[in-house]
Amino acid sequence: MSQLLDRLNFFQPRELDRFADGHGRTTNENRDWEDTYRNRWRHDKVVRSTHGVNCTGSCSWKIYVKSGIVTWETQQTDYPRTRPDLPDHEPRGCARGASYSWYLYSANRVKTPLVRGRLLKAWRRMRATMSPVAAWKALQEDPVLRESYVKTRGKGGFVRAGWDEVTEIIAAANAYTVKTWGPDRVFGFSPIPAMSMVSYAAGSRYLSLLGGVCMSFYDWYCDLPPSSPMTWGEQTDVPESADWYNAGFLLLWGSNVPQTRTPDAHFYTEARYRGTKSAVISPDYSEAAKFADIWLNPKQGTDSALALAMGHVILREFHLDRQVPYFEDYTRKYSDFPMLVKLEERDGRLIPGRFLRADDLSGKLGEKNNAQWKTVAWDSASNGLVAPNGSIGYRWGEGGEWNLEERARGRDTELKISFILEEDHDDVVGVDFPYFGGQATGNFVKCDHPDVLTKNVPVKKIRVGRREILVATVFDLLCANYGLDRGLGGDWVASDYGQDIPFTPAWAEKITGVSAERIATVAREFALNAEKTEGRSMVILGAGLNHWYHMDMNYRGIINMLVMCGCVGKSGGGWSHYVGQEKLRPQTGWQPLAFALDWNRPPRHMNSTSAWYAHTDQWRYEQVSAGEILSPTAPEGDWDASLIDYNIRAERMGWLPSAPQLKTNPLEVAKAAKKAGKDIPEYVAEQLKSGELEMSCEDPDAPENWPRNLFVWRSNLLGSSGKGHEYFLKHLLGTDHGVMGKDLGEEGGQMPKEAKWHDEAPRGKLDLLVTIDFRMSTTAVYSDIVLPTASWYEKDDLNTSDMHPFIHPLQAAVDPAYESRSDWEIFKAIARKFSEVAPEILGVETDIVQLPLLHDTPMEVAQDTVRDWKKGECELIPGKTAPNYIAVERDYPNLYKKFTSVGPLLDKLGNGGKGINWNTEAEVEHLRALNGAVRDEGLAQGRPKLETAIDAAEMILMLAPETNGEVAVKAWKELEKATGREHAHLAAVKEDEKIRFRDIAAQPRKIISSPTWSGIESEKVCYNAGYTNVHELIPWRTLTGRQQLYQDHLWMRAFGEGFCTWRPPVDLKTIEGKVSESGPHVVLNFITPHQKWGIHSTYSDNLLMLTLNRGGPVVWLSEDDAKTAGIVDNDWVEVYNSNGALTARAVVSQRMKPGTLYMYHAQEKIVNTPGSEKTGLRGGIHNSVTRATLKPTHMIGGYAQQSYGFNYYGTVGSNRDEFVILRKMNKVDWLDQPAKTEA
Amino acid sequence: MHITLKAISALLSYPSEELQQAVGEIAGALADDARLPAASIEALGPLLEELSKLDIYDLQERYVGLFDRSRSLSLNLFEHVHGESRERGGAMVELLETYRAAGFEPATSELPDHLPVLLEFLAMRPLSEAQEVLEDAAHILEALRVRLERRASPYGAVFAALLDFAGAGADDAAVAELLAREEDDPDDLDALDAVWEESEVTFGPDPNAGCPQLRDMLAAMDTPINPAPDTAPGTAAPAAAE
Repeated sequence: MSQLLDRLNFFQPRELDRFADGHGRTTNENRDWEDTYRNRWRHDKVVRSTHGVNCTGSCSWKIYVKSGIVTWETQQTDYPRTRPDLPDHEPRGCARGASYSWYLYSANRVKTPLVRGRLLKAWRRMRATMSPVAAWKALQEDPVLRESYVKTRGKGGFVRAGWDEVTEIIAAANAYTVKTWGPDRVFGFSPIPAMSMVSYAAGSRYLSLLGGVCMSFYDWYCDLPPSSPMTWGEQTDVPESADWYNAGFLLLWGSNVPQTRTPDAHFYTEARYRGTKSAVISPDYSEAAKFADIWLNPKQGTDSALALAMGHVILREFHLDRQVPYFEDYTRKYSDFPMLVKLEERDGRLIPGRFLRADDLSGKLGEKNNAQWKTVAWDSASNGLVAPNGSIGYRWGEGGEWNLEERARGRDTELKISFILEEDHDDVVGVDFPYFGGQATGNFVKCDHPDVLTKNVPVKKIRVGRREILVATVFDLLCANYGLDRGLGGDWVASDYGQDIPFTPAWAEKITGVSAERIATVAREFALNAEKTEGRSMVILGAGLNHWYHMDMNYRGIINMLVMCGCVGKSGGGWSHYVGQEKLRPQTGWQPLAFALDWNRPPRHMNSTSAWYAHTDQWRYEQVSAGEILSPTAPEGDWDASLIDYNIRAERMGWLPSAPQLKTNPLEVAKAAKKAGKDIPEYVAEQLKSGELEMSCEDPDAPENWPRNLFVWRSNLLGSSGKGHEYFLKHLLGTDHGVMGKDLGEEGGQMPKEAKWHDEAPRGKLDLLVTIDFRMSTTAVYSDIVLPTASWYEKDDLNTSDMHPFIHPLQAAVDPAYESRSDWEIFKAIARKFSEVAPEILGVETDIVQLPLLHDTPMEVAQDTVRDWKKGECELIPGKTAPNYIAVERDYPNLYKKFTSVGPLLDKLGNGGKGINWNTEAEVEHLRALNGAVRDEGLAQGRPKLETAIDAAEMILMLAPETNGEVAVKAWKELEKATGREHAHLAAVKEDEKIRFRDIAAQPRKIISSPTWSGIESEKVCYNAGYTNVHELIPWRTLTGRQQLYQDHLWMRAFGEGFCTWRPPVDLKTIEGKVSESGPHVVLNFITPHQKWGIHSTYSDNLLMLTLNRGGPVVWLSEDDAKTAGIVDNDWVEVYNSNGALTARAVVSQRMKPGTLYMYHAQEKIVNTPGSEKTGLRGGIHNSVTRATLKPTHMIGGYAQQSYGFNYYGTVGSNRDEFVILRKMNKVDWLDQPAKTEA
Repeated sequence: MHITLKAISALLSYPSEELQQAVGEIAGALADDARLPAASIEALGPLLEELSKLDIYDLQERYVGLFDRSRSLSLNLFEHVHGESRERGGAMVELLETYRAAGFEPATSELPDHLPVLLEFLAMRPLSEAQEVLEDAAHILEALRVRLERRASPYGAVFAALLDFAGAGADDAAVAELLAREEDDPDDLDALDAVWEESEVTFGPDPNAGCPQLRDMLAAMDTPINPAPDTAPGTAAPAAAE
């Protein structure tokens, strides 16, 4: 619009008014131009939602909608306030989330259901004359037809299909698989439910009703720190980010807060203003390093050496030379320091053995219940041995004494931490400790100390009958382990930090490259602050430490420092593990929905690392033998086995779960048991012993034991998390792959003893891969069927995080675009179709679910010694010496009705979690009133409805103590029965509070304190883990009931990890033999940190994020390494080893430490990735050069805190010990010709 | 109704058996349109032939590969104008309001800027309006034509026909810009490098030898305060607000 006539060309307007001390003035000129801007920002409505992405940000956003189209989003600022003298949480958000509305209508969005063309064509041909199940059967049983689509995976060739047709194919495939192979051949992978818990539950509810397998993720991502279950019996529990503000000393260790915790980083800045001191430990000059008062840059992977040296300093200055009363008091009450350890003899030498138990003593200290699970300490008050309250023996089979009161058998005690005084010990003896620093891979430093270090320890002698037992306290052994001279004489202990003795600062300087002086300074200041503030020293740690094979050592080294300084469970202190540590706050309300516990129990859970290791045949290429990592002090035993053999033993003894479980279809086994007229556990035990039945784990390559159908939803398994990417392609999918190494059969090497070897490895185990996503990810590209899902502004769901205490929703601001539907509606549609299709071959069936010995159940005290029934070392007793076998009824024709209603088992069996259980009939009744009752005739009639995603959300909110105050009070009261103490006051003030979906749509709500978690929600303190253990005297869920720094399981001792020690990265041997390079190149340690331009792979294909980075895959290396390999910045390079190859551009930076290569994960091969010269295939992703390697100590089960739990304990997919060859590419080939796909 | 636009809308839709059967009818309609030169109609021959003869699965696979899976060939016009930017939502709202103002309510799961949707709408509008809209989009249509022809796809001819129908030549500069900017499947490495390369920054005492961004900024500031008469409309507006 022209404004010529409005504007004065020859006059200035007369001033009307001036204000703001003359800085402002009022005029009367035309302001129509402003309407342009007003219209630009005009909208019809604002809807609250968030991004259900795996980042723990959990930021609430305002979504602006105009004419049914999302136009933009801005950050919400209405989080409930904190309290005076603490910054608020708002605003939260980052550049990635802020770009989401740009992603919504992206051309990369999946618009309609897609099916591989060849599959659909064959299907329709069969379907013209056959029923759905018969059509799928015909397709699978014709090897040529099956291969015609299996081999084209990842090569395009999709056509569109309608929802009705595509759900029919999936339902038919599932039904056929259940009938032919067994329900446990249907797998589902979806991670991190906390980010969109209803969407997760949709798929897992369907699978659980079917009898399918829900696969774990936290351990597979290697974000699970096994040290947390080992020390605390707790999966992971951490402070909210606001508690950083309360710290006096913040140690950031292998965590990059401003880059990867963007919405929380403001608390770090604010803490600095408050005067908190901060040290940052990171090998590269990371974004966090600029916050540091002191920056330590150790060589990557040597963190445990650094932590041990710091522990050495803390023990020396705060526990030995001077005893800080607060530290002494804390460690006596809350750690295993006073517990007694038996010294065991091996070849005439002494090694630390098992904890002394009441059972070991004559009279068992009067303990009749679980005496073998009650640990023993020396009590100064009675001057004798006691079995203090709180050990795991008190948790099961009795009540009232499972607490941390300083009492035993009703009497007050004062436990002794040390026998160092002359009058306290009977002798001083040499005890052997293993030392692993003599071997090292790549360019890591080797030390020349011997592999066994004998150190003097003060001991007491205890007479039991005619025998004499030598015992020492954990604290005395720990001091010896840390190499501290206490005037007891002997070798391998130091009185001076400058001595080169493990684990002094001077020793650590050699290994880490950080000066001894700086190590001592940081340790001293950390401890001094904790002393002055009673525990307000905090360590924020993450992926940088946890993704190593020996991550336990890095973590335990740090946890030890925190426990020594009394920081855990203290406001502003403790262990802040922030990597993948999702927190599904209303977990106990969600579980019945997610695993259909309202209809049948137990569900099938599987630890993914072991499953993928077996089913992608990575075990066939294993180069690491148990012998290489075994301790020189290992007790006698059959230790010489392959890693897969260890896993098989663990499954057999009931330690780890299995999937599939039995080689024979469990539906058939149940029929046979019935025919034989026998109980199911009895029948299975008999058949297993006779060898008639076999466990699937013993022969992963037999066709009966393949996973047949796989659902991937809310995940990019192949483009992001799949360690050993190329092995997935080769064996699981059966398509083109880049594996360059040979398997053990061809290459030679230690062959497995227990796993059956087939000379020819299978290719293409999966019959059907279904991916549900809103964008065409790498996984989608490789799938047979891709279903378009509603994005985060198009569905209703719930979202929580551990970084803040609120629960808030995702909401459908607009209808799902194109043909997409929400995950809830998708699985509902599949369930409905399944119930139509399945009755042809399936009716009401009996399934047999194999259940491992679970943590937080009485089964966790099943095996105080290791015995393998298959070797005849004990009887096979299901649920005791082997997994349990439980009959579960599957009503397949009624699956849909069960899916869409709340089942009766909640009324009958109640609800609960983490070892407590409460009646929940009232909540089911409330749900019936809220959601309405099912009217249709049939088995669900009268049950509360679960039709919509909001109905499902209400079920979670109603059942969970965190969102229903009445339930919280009930839950605390249940816990009181075990502890004998009053806890309900923690929730009493919120008893009347019930949070509904519409409440959180209005504003995020703070959750209610619940015994599911170890911290509290209060107006006085921030959430911090371990708070209720310390302040409510609730035991940690460990063997000793205390924070456990000593691990006494046989396998822990065999692998030398009873105490924390220094273990260099393992040699994975992927650059040997045929994989070598003659031209200019450099060999580097391959590290995959979290990136700045995406959340894992999400957003990484968004043009705006690509523009902020280099627009495609990049790797980072130092100037020195670049020079060696003749590379300059932005060159195309190839990175490879025997696992495969990837291509990327080089970023040459001074920030990098020589010897390291960073490739931020997850950069997919769908954007700007050329072909690899080595493999002839498109690029590869970061996981093309990795492969998972299992660690036997992570398989331990049936042993207190070391018992299986879904995402709680189990093998983890470490990937940082990998080395790669890096060289400049000769020719960049974009492979822009169509792929050849001969049928 | 301009049957030609309707026919082209159908040709650019996901191939179905119904479309295969209608190929003869479509060919007839196009042949009857006086606005399309003979060469243009002839060029459509291969596509029509393939649509009627090829296996429906092959046609569908090809369509998904081209138009659903290749960003640079997206039939959502605003992908090429706004990409993944905030402007896209607003632009789609405007288009939707245009449809509604003309008395039509979209009844599809496709977004408003999907080309077959737009063409069907234009088929029902006065010729001059249809031509004007197509002329505005000519540079996108031309870019899609070039890309499809590079891939030797018979779909290229559809865009050629559309441009002929509109009677519009695309602005070469705009086409060139689009082609350069949107390369996501490049044959030419140097072109890709050029897209991503940033100008080198050096520092020193001589500002002209130094930071080029600064130099450019200074040069811009040297521009006379009274703009030249041919300045684009709108740039003078801020002055009025002072």
